[in-house]
Amino acid sequence: MIYRIRHLTEYEYKSPVSLCYNQAHLQPRNTSYQNCISSKLHIDPLPSYSRKRKDYFGNNMLNFSIEVPHKKLSIEVVSEVHIDERRASPELNLDLGNTCAQALEALRAGQGKNTLAAREFVLDSPMVRMIPQLREYAEASFAPDRPLLSAARELTQRIFTDFTYDPEFTTVATPLSDVLEHRRGVCQDFAHLAIGCLRSLGFPARYVSGYLETLPPPGQKKLVGSDASHAWFSVYSPGEGWFEFDPTNNNMPAHQHITTAWGRDYTDVAPLSGVIFDGGESQAPRVSVDVDRITEK
Amino acid sequence: MSFTENRILGDQSEPMVYARQPGTTDEVYDPEGRMRSHWQYLLDSLQQLGGETLQERQLKAERILRDDGATYTLASDTLNSRTWGLDPVPLLLDSEEWSQIETGLSERAELLNLLLADIYGPRELIRCGILPPELIFSHQGFLRPCQGVKLPGEHQLILHSSDMVRDADGSMVVIGDRTQTPSGAGYALENRTVMRRVFPSLFRDSHVHRLALFFHTLRQTLNRLAPPGNLSGGDLPTVVIMTPGAYSETYFEHTYLANYLGYPLVQGGDLTVRNGYVWMKSLDGLTRVDVILRRVDDNFCDAVELRSDSHLGVPGLLEVARAGRVAVANPLGSGVLENPALLKYLPQISQYFLGHELQLRSVPSYWCGDPDDLAYVLANVEKLVIKRCSRRSGEYGVFGNQLTSGEKQALIARIKQSPHLFAAQDFLSPSLTPSWQNGGLESRPSLLRSFTVAGQGGTYAVMPGGLTRIGVEVDSRLIANQLGSISKDTWVLASEPEKRMTLQPTPGVERREQMRQYTNLPSRMVENLFWMGRYGERADTAIRLMRTVFLQLNSAYRLPEGADRLLLRAVSEVTLTLPGFTAEDPELLKHPEAELLSVICDSRRTGSVKSSLIAMLNCAEEVKELLSADIQRIINDIRDELNGLEGSVSRGMTSAPEESLDPLITALLALSGLYLDSMFRGLGWRFLQIGRRLEKAQQVATLLRALLVPVHGDASDDLAMESALLTAEALNTYRRRYRAETNIASGLGVLLVDRSNPRSLIYQLDKLRTDLALLPARGKGPEMPREQRLVLEVYSAVQLVEMRILASSDAGESTRAALDDLLQLVQKRLNAVAIAISEDFFDHTGGPQQLVNTGWKSEL
Repeated sequence: MIYRIRHLTEYEYKSPVSLCYNQAHLQPRNTSYQNCISSKLHIDPLPSYSRKRKDYFGNNMLNFSIEVPHKKLSIEVVSEVHIDERRASPELNLDLGNTCAQALEALRAGQGKNTLAAREFVLDSPMVRMIPQLREYAEASFAPDRPLLSAARELTQRIFTDFTYDPEFTTVATPLSDVLEHRRGVCQDFAHLAIGCLRSLGFPARYVSGYLETLPPPGQKKLVGSDASHAWFSVYSPGEGWFEFDPTNNNMPAHQHITTAWGRDYTDVAPLSGVIFDGGESQAPRVSVDVDRITEK
Repeated sequence: MSFTENRILGDQSEPMVYARQPGTTDEVYDPEGRMRSHWQYLLDSLQQLGGETLQERQLKAERILRDDGATYTLASDTLNSRTWGLDPVPLLLDSEEWSQIETGLSERAELLNLLLADIYGPRELIRCGILPPELIFSHQGFLRPCQGVKLPGEHQLILHSSDMVRDADGSMVVIGDRTQTPSGAGYALENRTVMRRVFPSLFRDSHVHRLALFFHTLRQTLNRLAPPGNLSGGDLPTVVIMTPGAYSETYFEHTYLANYLGYPLVQGGDLTVRNGYVWMKSLDGLTRVDVILRRVDDNFCDAVELRSDSHLGVPGLLEVARAGRVAVANPLGSGVLENPALLKYLPQISQYFLGHELQLRSVPSYWCGDPDDLAYVLANVEKLVIKRCSRRSGEYGVFGNQLTSGEKQALIARIKQSPHLFAAQDFLSPSLTPSWQNGGLESRPSLLRSFTVAGQGGTYAVMPGGLTRIGVEVDSRLIANQLGSISKDTWVLASEPEKRMTLQPTPGVERREQMRQYTNLPSRMVENLFWMGRYGERADTAIRLMRTVFLQLNSAYRLPEGADRLLLRAVSEVTLTLPGFTAEDPELLKHPEAELLSVICDSRRTGSVKSSLIAMLNCAEEVKELLSADIQRIINDIRDELNGLEGSVSRGMTSAPEESLDPLITALLALSGLYLDSMFRGLGWRFLQIGRRLEKAQQVATLLRALLVPVHGDASDDLAMESALLTAEALNTYRRRYRAETNIASGLGVLLVDRSNPRSLIYQLDKLRTDLALLPARGKGPEMPREQRLVLEVYSAVQLVEMRILASSDAGESTRAALDDLLQLVQKRLNAVAIAISEDFFDHTGGPQQLVNTGWKSEL
C-alpha cells in the first residue's frame, strides 16, 4: 500500500517576523513495516539555512531558519510512504507472550540491550509525569499473570469507552490530571494517558505521531484537507518488541496508520517548534492534511 | 568543646600560635601532633609579622579586592554585592603530595571526558550493563538534543573542577565534580594576585608554583577548538566568553577572565545566529564567532532546542554547534556528569575505559535507584549526606544527622517515591587548617576546588593549587559561597624557585588579539557606556541644581517674591520628577523639604539623583571589564555614598543640606577626570563621551528653559540668572568678568556661547562634533550622517543668534520667546541625535518568543 500525504502548515503574523529558527518533525521515518519512498519539502519564504538530520530517537528532523522579514510562513510536506501488507494482517493473538509479571521481571533483570534501552521509556517525560490517579486507573487491567499485550489492548479499549473525544476541551498543554478528571480529550491526550498508565506500572511506553487514512462515507467524495495528524502509543514487551495501540480508534494500528516519528511524548516529536523574533503575539497555525491512497500494490 | 579552648589559646596567650585540635585531621599537624615541615616557614613568618601587621595586611587585601570590584553577588541588587572574602593565611601543599594529586586529577578528567563522549555517543556503558539506564536517562542534565554533537579534537570536556577534602587517613578524596561551567578559576587567580601584592617577600621566599601556565593552556586550547572550516588562511579565531549577565553570582569572575584572557565578554543577546554561523553584534556589524567559552548553564543556552523560556542564550546555537561551525566549551549537555550518583560507578567505568582504578578516590557514594543502596541509605540516613541526582540551584546536600525525626521521615518518603532521583555520600569531616579569625589563628574546615583544562595530546593540565574555601565556624559542615564561606589562596610549594617563564611564544598573535578587543566591542557594551555617560551627567546636574536651591532657599536674604516657587519648579522640570512642584500645590511649596528629599533619595522615582546614579552603576557593571581599577574605586565610593544617602541628607536638612551632596559631586568629578586620564581612547570611550556631551548640552538647555524663559521682576530675573550660573559652576568667573550687576544677556553668553567655559552649550557641541565625526562610517551615501547634520544645525543656530535678542521679551509677554525657540530647537535636535545614534549603533532585536507557545518543554 502506498500513501501520499500532504501536510501544509501556515502561520500568519500581525507584524513582520524578522528572524525565525525552527525544527520540524514532518517527514515520515522508516520502520520495520514502513518505507518512506520520498518526502519533498517546500518552505516559503525560502530558508537561509536548513539541514536534515536524525534526532535522538532516529526520527527525521529538519532544522531551518529564515532571516528575511516575513508576515506569512508556510511549510508544505508531500511524502509517499509504502506500508507493508503484513502489517495489515488480522490482529495478533494477544493472549500469548510475556505476562505482566514476566515482563517486569525481565525489565528489572535488564537482559539485552533493547530491554535496557527500553527502560528509558518507563521514566517521567515532560508531558507525562507520574500522578497516583494513573496507576489507580490502570491497575485493573494488569493482573500479574495476564499477558501484557492483552492487558494493553484492554487499556486501549477502556480509554476508548470511558473517554469522550472532544477537540474543544483540551489544548496542547492540558495536563493529564485534567484529562483524567473530565474524561475528555483528543488523540494526543489519550496516547499520553495510556503511556502514563503503563509507565505507572513500570512498563516502557512511547508516543507515536503520524497520520491516519480516513475514508469518506460510502458514495461520497473525500474532502480536501479533511485528514489530520494523529497520535497513538506503543508498549515494549521484553524479548518481543514494541506493539502499537490506538486508544482513539480502539484498534491496533495496521495499514491505515502512517508513522512520522516517535519519542517519549509529544514534546519529543512536535511537528514544528522554534523561536521567532518580533511578529506580534504568537498565533495558532492553520494546518491541513490529506492522506491519499495512490496504489493498491 | 575544643572551639573555646582554641579561642582562649588564640586570643590571650599566643594569638599567633596555631594550636592543634585534638582528635581531628589537620593540614598543619600529622597524627602524632608534629608540625609538617612545609608549614614551618609560613607559620614562623606569620609569627614574626605579628597580629597587628597581619591585620593590616588583611585590610589591605580587602581594599584591593574591593577596588578590583571582586564580588560574589548574592541577590540581583546593584547596591549589595558582597566583596569576595579572602583569608590572608594560604593553604599549603607540598609539591611531592601535589604531584600525586595532579596525576589523579588529570586521570579523572580523562575518564570523565571518555564518559561524556560515551553518554552522547554509543552509550556502551549502558549497553554493557555498567551504568543503569535510569541513572543517565532520568538526569536533568542529559539533553537528548545534544546526542552526537562533538567538538573537534580529542577532548569533549574542556574544563573540569573537582571539590576535594582530606579524609581522616590523610588522603585527598573527591566529593563532587563540576563539568558544565566550572567556576572559581578566576577567583583563584584574583586571590593569587592579591596575595602576591600583600605578602610580596613571603610569597617570593615560599617558592609557590605559578598559575599562569594553566591559563596559557586554556587559551591555547580555546584557540585550537575553532572549527577548521571557519578559518581561512591564517585567520585568528574569534573567541568570546558568554556570561548570563551582571546579575550572575560569579559575574566578577567572568569579567576578570575576559580581561585576563583578552576575549570579549558577551551576553546571549550580543550574539545571533545567521546563515548557520554564530555572530557577535558589534559596532563593525557582525563578527563571526568561532569559539564560545560559556558560563551559561546547559539548558539556558538555546531556546530553540533546550529550555524554551530562556533569554540568556542564543536561539539556534545548538544547531550551529551540531553542524560543527562553532565550538562551545564545555559542550552543551556536559552537566550530565555532575550527577553525584556517578561517583559510585567511577571505579567500574575506569576499569572499562582505562583498565585500572582511579588513583584519586571519590567519597563512598550510593544511588537510591539501586535496591541494595536504597536499603542501606534508608537504614543509615544519619550517617550520610543525601543529594538529589539533579542539583537545583541554591540547593545543598542534606546532612542526615542534622534532621529532626519529622524531617527525616519526610526525606525518606520523598526518596521512596522516586529513589532513582537521589544519591547519598558518606559524610567526611574535612581537615582543619589555620585561618586568620578574631585576631588569631583559628581552625577552620577546608575544601579545595581544583581545576583541569584540556591540553595538547589528549592530556589535561591541572592548575597547581586551586581555590580553597573554609567553613564559617570550626564545626561548619557545609562550605559554600552562598553561605558566607571565605576563600584562601592555595600554595603548592616547590622545593626550589620556579624559573620565570614567558607565556607568549608568538608575541605578534597576542598583540593582534589585544587590538581586536578594542574595536570589537559588542553593541550592548557600547550602549551601556553611552548611557553610563548620560546618567552620570544627569545626576550631576540634578545634584548641582539641588545644591543651588538649598543655598538660595536658606540664604540670609529674603528671596524676591515668587523666587522660591521658580527655583522649586526648576527642580521638578530639570529632573523630570513631574508633577512635583509644578503641580502648584501651596502646601508643597511652603514645605518643600519632603519633596526635595524624595527627588534626591527615592530610588524608585525616575529622575531622582539616586535613581540616575543607580542606573549609572548598572551600566558600569555591564562594562566592568573596560573600567580601570581607579574608576572601579570611584564607582565603589559612589555605591557606598548612595547606601548612606538618605541618612546623611535628611540629617543635614536642618543646616546646610547642600553639604551632604558634596561627596557625590566630588566622586562624579573624579570620575570625569578618570574618563579623560585612565581610559583607552577606543570606540567605547567615544560613546561614553558622546553620551556625556549630549546629556550636558541637554541639561544646559533644560535648566535655562526652566529658569530664564519665564520673565519675572528684575530681582527675580537676577536670582534666576545667578542660580543658573551657580548651578553651572560659572558664577565666580562671571562676576570676575562683568563685576556689574547680573545681566541676562551676558549671563546667557557665558552659558551658551562662551568657548572658554567647559560647561557652556557651545563647548559640548564642539566636542560632540569632533567625537561624532570619528564614529565608524555606515556606508549610507556621500552625505553627512544624520546625527552630524543635526548637531551642525544646533551648532549654527546657537552661534547665529544674538544674546541681546535672546535676553529680551516682547512687552507684556511673560516669556522670552526667542530664547525659548532656540532652547526647544536644541532639545529636539539633540533628542533626535540620541535616537539616530541608537538606531545606527545599538542592537534592537526584540526578545525571542515561541513559534507555538505550548507552555511545556521546560525542565522536567
